[in-house]
Amino acid sequence: MSQLDILLIVLRVAFGALVPLCFIAVLVWMERRGCAFIQDRSGPNRCNIFGFRAAGLVQNLADAVKLLTKEDVIPAHIRHKFYFVLAPVIVFAVGLISFAAVPFADTLVINGKQYLMQAIPTDLGILWFLAIVGFSVYGIILAGWSSHNKYGMLGGLRSAAQVISYEIPMGLALISLLVVYGTVNLTEIAQFQGKLLFGFIPMWGVVLQPLGAIIFITAAFAEANRVPFDLAEGESEIVAGFHVEYSAMKFAMFFMGEYVAMFTSSAIIVTLFFGGFQIPWFPTETLVNNSRVVTFLLMLLLPVFALLFAGWISKNNRSHYPRENDPRVREANIYIKILWGVVIALELVLFMFLIGGSGGTSARILAVCLQIVTFLVKVTLMCFVYVWVRWTLPRFRYDQLQRLGWQTLIPLSLLNIFVTSAVVIALS
Amino acid sequence: MSTKVKIIERKGDSLAEKLYLIEVFKGMATTFGHFIRNFLDNSKLYIRHYPEVQPEIPARWRGRHRLTTHEDGSMKCVACYMCQTNCPAKCISIDAGERFDGRTEKMPVKFEIDLLECIYCGYCVEACPMDAIRMDTGIFSVTGNDRSQFVMTLSDLLATKGAFTEEEYKKGGA
Repeated sequence: MSQLDILLIVLRVAFGALVPLCFIAVLVWMERRGCAFIQDRSGPNRCNIFGFRAAGLVQNLADAVKLLTKEDVIPAHIRHKFYFVLAPVIVFAVGLISFAAVPFADTLVINGKQYLMQAIPTDLGILWFLAIVGFSVYGIILAGWSSHNKYGMLGGLRSAAQVISYEIPMGLALISLLVVYGTVNLTEIAQFQGKLLFGFIPMWGVVLQPLGAIIFITAAFAEANRVPFDLAEGESEIVAGFHVEYSAMKFAMFFMGEYVAMFTSSAIIVTLFFGGFQIPWFPTETLVNNSRVVTFLLMLLLPVFALLFAGWISKNNRSHYPRENDPRVREANIYIKILWGVVIALELVLFMFLIGGSGGTSARILAVCLQIVTFLVKVTLMCFVYVWVRWTLPRFRYDQLQRLGWQTLIPLSLLNIFVTSAVVIALS
Repeated sequence: MSTKVKIIERKGDSLAEKLYLIEVFKGMATTFGHFIRNFLDNSKLYIRHYPEVQPEIPARWRGRHRLTTHEDGSMKCVACYMCQTNCPAKCISIDAGERFDGRTEKMPVKFEIDLLECIYCGYCVEACPMDAIRMDTGIFSVTGNDRSQFVMTLSDLLATKGAFTEEEYKKGGA
């Protein structure tokens, strides 16, 4: 193993482990501010460090400090303390590990050697995700059972029944998808989606398999225990369900686990149905071969976006009541200066690339960076859909949930398999 | 006697509604409209920036209590115990003493209101024959660090001033 190999291993594992963790903070913030905006409120925006509020992100730090310093109660009636503590760990770890097989950029070729851009460079792909993500419900059931609490028990049982009904349509929707792609390897699936349909539509999974996409996304919502399928929590009828007995950091583990699961299933949905890391109309080879043109375009587009963003900051980051020497305007000016500093630094890097290194390796690294950014933007948008749906739809009743799963989604996904297989055979 | 019965049409039976998806997307369009409007310009949020911008309190608002005085500064209260007797929450406790300023025979030497017990019903104000207790201070936010801070004593109640003019208060129906 050369030094390059080791460096790339460290980088990929760091990406796979740290990006979901960073996204917890972003997602909690997005959920709270997003739902506030949907409900015409403003959400947490007062927390600050020396007057810097970072659009409310500082609130996460305050919440974390509060949860870390709270008393960590294990109720005296709990006999199986080991399982009680184990349950949140399972939920959290499963979310993190299942992200490991998701590719965040196309295969990097350096000196003729191929590096799969996944935290664990495995060919298992979607099978790894299915195998691991099924475990998260064990954490929930274990939490409900070891809490020795009626509400907890009910939450755990509901979750178990829900997973049985929704893993099946999820798996069946995947089968028709795999019939189309002909592989389980997620990198190859994403590469497949770089092609164009009829020469102008990106051949994304959602275009080829619209029904499969709807079924899979619905099942993924149920799998991540999000509204409208959050029966395991059901605040109105079973208090908080499986985590009713949990407090402090053990509760926080469940809370973070939910957001990691949301990130991971967004990443899977994006990889399967929305082209993964592919930039529409710009497959990897185009990016590598026309790296100078792409760089030039980026250098043009970057200041335009920065200008729009700066305008948005100065418009919205001010006090909406008469105030002398508005500190929020001062804060906004500093943000805008930082933004332009970042833009200038990026422009310099791109300029150096334009005049200096344009060889094969650096062009490939540029392509990988662009694809990582694309992937993260797509995942963020998908996570926003999760938040958006949560604050739009009411929860399903338990019998409605089971009827939707068994009587609607399973027949539909079976039909989808037949139709897809027939079309694939007719075309080949 | 015939009552008017309005029959509400039951919804959710048509095919388009049973498909869920169309209605789901309609709902999502509504919420996204709110989101994007507030995201692009957050001055359109329906909020009050509370500690900096205070709400407008009308004259009839039942705020924290105060004891009123005559023009010369002597208290109007004659320790008749009407408010204490009327109080459904039993938060008022009065001790009467002798009065020497020539107005009447009695005055309170202790007049305490426990704000943690008080339900702000205003019965004390209605019961008072001397217009000696009012809830027109406009104070709606009562905070403190321990329970003893919520017990208003005679001097606290006398020191608080009303937030409205006599005309405004009378217009409220008092």
